[in-house]
Amino acid sequence: MAAETVQNAIDRALDAYAGLTELGEAIDDEWSFVNDLSDAWRVHLDEVASSHGERPIAPEVSTAIDLAIDQIGLITDAHRAIDWLSTFPQVVLVALGETS
Amino acid sequence: MRFQDAARDARAIVYAGIQADPLVARAADLLADATLEQRVLARAVMNGESADPGTWRAMFPTLFGAGSGSEVSERARSEGILDASLAVADRGEQVRSQVRGALVEAVTSRLLARRAGAAVRRERRILFDGVPSEIHPYDVTVERPGSPEAYDCKWGARGINADVLHQLDDARLHAADEEERLAVALVVFDAARSCRVRLDRQTAPHVLTRLITLETLDDLAAGAAG
Repeated sequence: MAAETVQNAIDRALDAYAGLTELGEAIDDEWSFVNDLSDAWRVHLDEVASSHGERPIAPEVSTAIDLAIDQIGLITDAHRAIDWLSTFPQVVLVALGETS
Repeated sequence: MRFQDAARDARAIVYAGIQADPLVARAADLLADATLEQRVLARAVMNGESADPGTWRAMFPTLFGAGSGSEVSERARSEGILDASLAVADRGEQVRSQVRGALVEAVTSRLLARRAGAAVRRERRILFDGVPSEIHPYDVTVERPGSPEAYDCKWGARGINADVLHQLDDARLHAADEEERLAVALVVFDAARSCRVRLDRQTAPHVLTRLITLETLDDLAAGAAG
């Protein structure tokens, strides 16, 4: 079975991120911030995928992305979702070794 | 322009108890020397989801994985940060929020002390001639004659708001009126990208307020605020 690529991992992360964004939008006063924040990170993750998308990733990195997706899937509170809108992409980038 | 201890009101007394929590000191000591990846780990864990350390170790293979290549001391620091962060996350929602705020202040003061030593103070007001003093103190100040600095600290980008930006910029302007150069900065334990998104939405003056983020925390030890 072929190794997962950076592109696959980011695609999965962005799918989950869309749900987190939707949850954060429940805070009316932060609706614009939530969407601007989500857009900014989505653009950056897309840039990483464009630059290194074909690179295969190690199984433990795939697992790390799965676990991060699981974590945000547990969130039901909109305020906490906003905290994670900033944190989740950083966790994904650390797992992918793309923080620099 | 002069510095003064904040009033010991009920809020200050309660918050002083949070600041004095040994967990805050333990976590701050670790995070002051941490890498960016270790600081992201702390931020994620302290956001408060899984209480299982194994889950977090697997989520950060670059810090804990067999092939991470981390030195023993770095691995030990990662473990220490994970342990302290889980302890913070274990606090109730309101206390956790206060502990995280106190932690950012403690990390800031530790890093500043590396270049400014005993001139670094906490919870201080800044008084200017003929200007009503602000109710809220500055989180951290560097009180050196000729090169004073004032810092406000936030856990996340969402904490950036008009009040804090006005308070910092007003202090800078009042100092300038007295022909003093007060460097002002906002320290946010969050990614620069998120902080920029928040700042772009603010109309309060902030062009001359320096922004310190997760990626640039170590700059506090290396240079003045502005």
